Formats: sequence, structure tokens, C-alpha cells
Amino acid sequence: MSNIILKCENLTMQFGGLVAVNKFSIQIREGMIFGLIGPNGAGKTTAFNMITGNLKPTSGKVYFYDKDITGMKPYKIVSLGMARTFQNIRLFSNLSVLENVLTGYHHKLKYNLIDTILRTPRFYKYENQMKEEGMKLLESVRLEEKANFRASELPYGERRKVEIARALATGPKLLLLDEPAAGMNPQETTDLMYFIQEVKEKFDLTVFLIEHDMKFVMNLCETIAVLDHGVKIAEGKPEEIRKNPDVIKAYLGDINA
Amino acid sequence: MKLDRNNILTALSIALFFLFVWWANHHLTSYAVRIWEDTLIFLMLSAGYNLINGVTGQFSLEPNGFVAIGAYVTAILILTPAQKESMFIIEPMVPWLANLHMSFLPALIIGGIVTAIVGFLLGFPVFRVRGDYLAIVTLGFGLTIRVVSNNTITITNGSLGLKGIPTYTNIWWCAVWVVIAMIVIMRIVDSAFGRAMKAIRDDEDAAIAMGINTLWMKQIAFVTAAFFEGVGGGLLASLITIISPTVFTFFLTFELLIIIVVGGLGSMTGTAIATVLVVWGSELLRVVEQPMNIFGLHIPGIPGMRMVVFSILLIVIMIFAREGIMGQKEFSWDWLFNKFKGKRA
Repeated sequence: MSNIILKCENLTMQFGGLVAVNKFSIQIREGMIFGLIGPNGAGKTTAFNMITGNLKPTSGKVYFYDKDITGMKPYKIVSLGMARTFQNIRLFSNLSVLENVLTGYHHKLKYNLIDTILRTPRFYKYENQMKEEGMKLLESVRLEEKANFRASELPYGERRKVEIARALATGPKLLLLDEPAAGMNPQETTDLMYFIQEVKEKFDLTVFLIEHDMKFVMNLCETIAVLDHGVKIAEGKPEEIRKNPDVIKAYLGDINA
Repeated sequence: MKLDRNNILTALSIALFFLFVWWANHHLTSYAVRIWEDTLIFLMLSAGYNLINGVTGQFSLEPNGFVAIGAYVTAILILTPAQKESMFIIEPMVPWLANLHMSFLPALIIGGIVTAIVGFLLGFPVFRVRGDYLAIVTLGFGLTIRVVSNNTITITNGSLGLKGIPTYTNIWWCAVWVVIAMIVIMRIVDSAFGRAMKAIRDDEDAAIAMGINTLWMKQIAFVTAAFFEGVGGGLLASLITIISPTVFTFFLTFELLIIIVVGGLGSMTGTAIATVLVVWGSELLRVVEQPMNIFGLHIPGIPGMRMVVFSILLIVIMIFAREGIMGQKEFSWDWLFNKFKGKRA
């Protein structure tokens, strides 16, 4: 069995009187594609935000490779090897595609401010090295031709790819995708599915994603957890989830109600 | 430094700039030279201001406070002990400051460093908030500096201010400092640090998710701006020779804000163009304050009229060219050469 890359223990988030996520526990093993689904407002994104450090959980623990990362600053969690994308694509719209990717290298920057101001050989060496790496990364996701386009000039599907490429630049072992297929047409969704599978193999990743699109999740994920009203109601393989009466009830309502 | 085309051209244009300064110093009237000195100091102030407001996108209103700190520190350091003794008539100055005296260059640098330290300390509380709130708290800082300089009589001579500051500032001092400031700031912008700052401007949460320590990046921008604004304050103090708490009001910040907005938020070359336009423009507009006859209609001179004209021009710019002269673009040699070759940059 492979190592456990991410473990959540009884994660709870309370906003005043509202319990958004209640005692959420999961374990994700290396190399998996893990899906988290649930109706609107179930607390999926809140769970994500607690894992990435954007929110500090009211109680519970998050472990990344046995390391307790609960309440750690998001930029530190990134440098440990966890990267994310956002539900509504959040690229740096005035920067070029390449520059967007380069920001992902920032946390392992090898030159300092003095090098920058004096333009030392070290500055040129690592700046060029970063740009080369960035171009290589863009080539591997077939976006090299768009490198000098402003991010805001790209069509929607490509923007999502750039956002994933930018997250890949941080050198993650675990990639968290918040509704990657949101707002995409069926063709783009299928493309994205292959794309995620491809980068997962190429970059040796573990993927944890939130999604609404059932077909997308069922085809892509090996294990799925279902969240409803902040509580995990099921976890298992896609076919098990499909038949689970609790899940059907959460999505379609109770027949007897 | 690499000896490629762009660097050689940059070095050449800096040389050309100094040639212009030399020419201006010898052939222009002392009035024109004085306006150029103003222009260069304002360019330094607004370039720093643009780094934090335009590049990093943190809308803040503190430069008058930074300029005041730099001006006071430099002025206190270059005034002779005898001058200080005769000036502090309400209460004597604290002894260790009264006896401190040094030449202009170290005084300017210390002025810059003290301002940078203040900026660094100020950064921690103010960058806890974003957006409009940041503007409000930094505006408060500018006001605080004024009240503090009014009341620390044993250091700043209170509302009497400091008089007879030695006039060391000339166009060469301004020119050298502005070149240093522009090189440092533009190099920061054109690096991973600049990219991180722009990323914060476009989407702060996404920047955090990319592993960027946003507080640190904002601090780098803020402290750099503070340093050059402090040095600029020192140059200004030695140029106008009299400073008091009422000299560095919010109006100074407002003028700098006009410059960076007209030039384009985030563009240093735009700032340079705008500084020349705004400083010289407001001088040339003095004409409208003279008494004049229009078609037999006699209009007496109205003081403040040029500000009215100026404000109208600004409104027009904001309506028709909201991005400013350069937008977020930067003049670069590559852009120029591609233009010649007819290629898209």
C-alpha cells in the first residue's frame, strides 16, 4: 500500500451558529484521484479552504504526509507541496501566461533583492532558468504558443488549463482542484478529464477534486466522498456511491418526505 | 550586468539625461532650473508611490508622511548646532540631536533609512487591511505625522518649523538620486519580486495560493517607496530651506496621486512622462492667474485659477483615458525595435 498523503481528522468549521463542516475525516493515498461531491452549500469549498490553510478550522486536524499543517499559513503549505485552483478561475489577468506560471516558482526563488537591484550573474542565471522551466511546463501542457498572451485574452477552457499549469509550477505532490469543470461545455469537460489524467501521470501527482458534474467525477475518480450539510454521508468507489440510498436522497430528496 | 543591446542603450540614455542636466544647468534660467529640480524630486517621489499603489495595487495615501519624516531628519542633520540653538526658542532641542551635524549625503541616506524603518514598522499594522481601509489607515498616518511634528517641540521645533536649512540641493543631486531611484525600482519591477507584486495586485488570494508571502512582498514595495520618499523629502527640505508641519499636507500626496494616475498605475515610464507634464503644466498654467483682457472684457487675476483648469483637465483624462498615458505598459527597447520592424511586441 502506498503512503497516506493527506489525512483529515474530525475537521469542523463553525461560522457563528452555523456548522459549515462537521467532523470531516478522510484519508487520501498517494497516486489517487479522489473526488468530493455534494449538493450546493454542502461545505465542500469550506473543507478545501481548511486543508489549504485559507480558513483556520474550529477544531480537528489536517496532516500532510504525517506533518500537522492545521492552521499553517497558506503560502507555507504551498511550499510543502500542496497546490490548488479556484472554483471561479483566478488568474493574474494582466500578466502573461508565462508570467502567471512563473509566479508559481516564487516560493523557491534562488536570488534575493540585492541580486535583483545589482543584477548579479546569479539573478540572470536563475531568472533564465525559471523562464526555461516555465516554457517547458507550458510545452508539456501544450500552451507554449500562448506564452506571451495576456491571461485575460484566453478562452475559458484554456484559462483553466493555465490555472492548473500555474499550480503545477509550485511543484506539488498533491493538487487540489475546486470544481475544475464548472462552466464548461461537454466537449471542454471531456478534454479537461483527459488533461487531468495526463498531468497526473506526467507529474506523478495525487489529485483531490471537488466537482458537480457527476459524469466527470464518476469517470475520473477512484474514490469519492459525499458531503451533505457539512457531514460526510458516504465514501467509496464510484459504483458504490451511485447506488448508495443516502446519496440519492441527498441529491434528489426523500421519496417519503 | 550584461553588455547587450538593451543595457548599452539604457546606459546611453542615462548619459544623455546627464548631458541634458549639464546643459540645463548652464543655459536655462535659474527659474527653469528650479522647476526641473522640482520635477526630478517629484519623479522620485511618485516612482516610489507608484511601486506600492500601481505595481502592488495597494491603494495607500501616506507619502506626505514619509516625505515629512525624510525632510525633518535630513534638515536636523545638516543644520549646524549654532543654528539649531538660535532657532529653538520655545524649548531647547534634545542635546544629542542639537550637537549632531553632518554633510548632505549621509544626512540624505539616514533620512531615507529612518523613513524606511518607519515604513517597515507601519507596514505590519496597515497591511492587515486591504482596499479602501488601507487608504483610510494610511491617510491617518499622514495626519499623525503632522500632529506629531507639531508637538515634539524638542525635536522638530513644533509649529515654528526649521528655518535656514543649508541649500545643498541642486539639479545634480536631484538627477543622480532620481536615476538611482528609477533603476532600483524598475529592476525590482522587472524581476520575480515585481511579478509577485503584480500578482498581488491582480488577485491577492490567488497569489497566496501560489506560495507568495504577500505581506513580505508588500513590505518590500512599501519600504522601497518609503526610502526614496524619505530621500526626496531630504532633497526638498534643502531646496525650500524652510519646513514646518504644514508644508507636507495631504495636498502633496494628492499631487503625487494625480501624477501616477495620469502616467498609468504600474508604469514607471508613464510616471516619468506624467511628472514632467504635471509639474511643468502647473507652472505654465500660471498664465491663467494673470489679469487679462478677453475681447475687451477685463478679468482680474484669480489666484487658484490654474488649479481649476488643472482639475478640469484631470476630469477629462479620467473620462477619456482612464488607463493614463501608458496604462500598465512600460517603455522598453524591445518594444521600440519591434515597432521599427513592424512586429507585435
